[in-house]
Amino acid sequence: MKHILPLFLALLMGTGLMAQNATLPQNITLRTIDGQTVQSSAIQNNGRPVIISFWATWCKPCNRELNNIKEVYEEWQEETGVKIVAVSIDDARSAARVKPHAEGNDWPYEIYLDQNSDLKRAMGVVNVPHTFILNGEGEIVWQHTGYQDGGEEELIEKVRELTQQP
Amino acid sequence: MVDNIMKRKRIVMIAVAACITMAAQGQGLLGGHVTGNVQLDGQMSSADSTIGAQDVPEKLLMNARADILYTNGDFSAGLRFEMYQNPLLGFDARYKGQGLANYFVAYNGERLSVTLGNFYEQFGSGMILRAYEDRYLGLDNALMGLNVQYRPVEGVTLKALAGKQRIFWDYGEGLVRGVDAEVNLGSLVKAIGESRFRATVGAGFVSKYEEDETVPSAANAEMRLNLPLNVGAASVRADIGYGNWSLQGEYVRKGQDPSAMNGYVYHPGEALLLGLTYSQRGLSASLQAKRIVNMGFKSVRSQSGEMLYINYLPAITKNHTYAFLSMYPYATQVNGEQGLQGDVMYKIKKGTLLGGKYGMDVHVNSSVVVGLDTTVTGGAGTEGYEVKGGLGETLYGDVSVEMAKKLSKNVKATVTYAYQVFNPVVENEPGGLHHNNIVVADVSWKVSKKHSLRIEGEWMGSDSHYDANDPEHNDRRAGDWVMGLVEWNIGTHWFVSASDQWAYNDGRGNYYNLSVGYTKGATRLQVGYGKQREGLLCIGGVCRTVPASNGLTFGLTTSF
Repeated sequence: MKHILPLFLALLMGTGLMAQNATLPQNITLRTIDGQTVQSSAIQNNGRPVIISFWATWCKPCNRELNNIKEVYEEWQEETGVKIVAVSIDDARSAARVKPHAEGNDWPYEIYLDQNSDLKRAMGVVNVPHTFILNGEGEIVWQHTGYQDGGEEELIEKVRELTQQP
Repeated sequence: MVDNIMKRKRIVMIAVAACITMAAQGQGLLGGHVTGNVQLDGQMSSADSTIGAQDVPEKLLMNARADILYTNGDFSAGLRFEMYQNPLLGFDARYKGQGLANYFVAYNGERLSVTLGNFYEQFGSGMILRAYEDRYLGLDNALMGLNVQYRPVEGVTLKALAGKQRIFWDYGEGLVRGVDAEVNLGSLVKAIGESRFRATVGAGFVSKYEEDETVPSAANAEMRLNLPLNVGAASVRADIGYGNWSLQGEYVRKGQDPSAMNGYVYHPGEALLLGLTYSQRGLSASLQAKRIVNMGFKSVRSQSGEMLYINYLPAITKNHTYAFLSMYPYATQVNGEQGLQGDVMYKIKKGTLLGGKYGMDVHVNSSVVVGLDTTVTGGAGTEGYEVKGGLGETLYGDVSVEMAKKLSKNVKATVTYAYQVFNPVVENEPGGLHHNNIVVADVSWKVSKKHSLRIEGEWMGSDSHYDANDPEHNDRRAGDWVMGLVEWNIGTHWFVSASDQWAYNDGRGNYYNLSVGYTKGATRLQVGYGKQREGLLCIGGVCRTVPASNGLTFGLTTSF
């Protein structure tokens, strides 16, 4: 095992260096808030950018972030056409509260449940909140962990950079 | 045995490496991409008799891990390196060491997914099977084996798996096999899909196999128990919705499963989870009910503790996050409990008397959990007990009211009041109810474009008593507490926070903490210094005991 590991890591790094931008994992099974299963490939926005935000009902900074973005979301959409997809990592303990939580908070986002953290794992997320920006081709172009008040400014700035490119 | 495992590991490793190489070459080296994360946590702690912190002889404790995932089209392969040299305080000493803890190759096609190696999986709400990990609790029951998921048509998901569960640096002897099917009726039947009615139904079956062993009978030490080698558990479930309403339910049953957890009794297991929710924009309500009878399900019958669970039994109480609200957390009693939880969220509109200029959010939650009403009929080797329809002893209860309001353009305040009843028997301590009153005020203030402050004050009054003359036999949570916290965010990258928790009635020391953190993109670095109260760290209703510590902690996470 000692001999294989360095070789293997070198190989991974080698492919990593030459690799293209990572894309959204395509065939991870998620659930809609109405209990239906969908594949992660359903997350898309007709060639325009997507913000994926991993959150949980019990996560205070996640809730602050999604509530603060709600106030500017309409402007963001008009300006850049961006769509926000909020992926909850609540497990069986609180999964039943995701829909009431989102609707009680009046969130206008597309919401999915990732109850056993399959997409979270596939995207390398450690803690929530964790936010990704996908460009129109579904490539991950930026990611951020944690939320501090005002963090949404940086987020939309990155989206603008995408949409204002010639 | 160990040699065998090493050999097997080596073979799988070579196979994984070969597959990756082939894929890399097959697609041309330019194909595919690598993602993952790295996490490092360190701790230095020195003895402090006032809080009961022990000396750490090795001075520095460290947990580290790296997940690396290679993806190329529908093909992926991953590995995880873990190191515990030595494990952080509170982690099981059996984690000590380092090496490859998780590796797999997977094909994820549009209709078919196949994973060979370590994998995570969940059937329904997880009450018969959930392989998952929680790195902060030191829990990982990943299965090593084969996992197949097939979606023949839209709306139908079939799963089949077999494997053994991880326990620290080894795999448990018990073999776990399972199948599950789920059908979304709306996708299959056009008339349903077009109506306001939604329905998803599912069913699963899990079986574990374990070799025989000698367990003496309680009634006669000369006799050994006739242990079932195969134990099965089945689940049926439905998620039905109409308009703003939805109803979710799962019922599971488990065959005779004498184990160390239940004292080797032969009572069959069962559990029921029901949830009803109503929601519309700005208003939602939900009610959940749960009943568990002897549903602890492990792949190794002699195991106690938190490892090798095949299933997951969610706690029905709210997952509180404020420090004092989670000081006495509830953990699921796998041998038996019944409970209810209600939750209401309401947005008071702008321009009303209470709503003011910006509106106000009100969130009320209440839960109560009691034991089963049982009559003991015998010990190990018998049915054990009879379950009747009544209520057993009170285990936990709480009611919390949270009001959040924007006071001005830059100031937001949240006030929470909670009343809690807690029975220490849920932590295997002598019973006797504690009653706690808790108030939390949380204000965030956007001072300028670059700076924001968050100030939190908490108070807890409790009828639990702390005896300063006998600190060894005391619950260090006991007594009345106050807490203050100030968090200063500078730009979006830096934060500095200072907090102190103080049991003001009985001359104990302060639990102070200072932290500084820096975040850029997906990288976060945090350094803290202070005293940590011993207690339970709980995530998702599963808890682990964290000993008191006194000193420096640091953590680094990055995703790529």
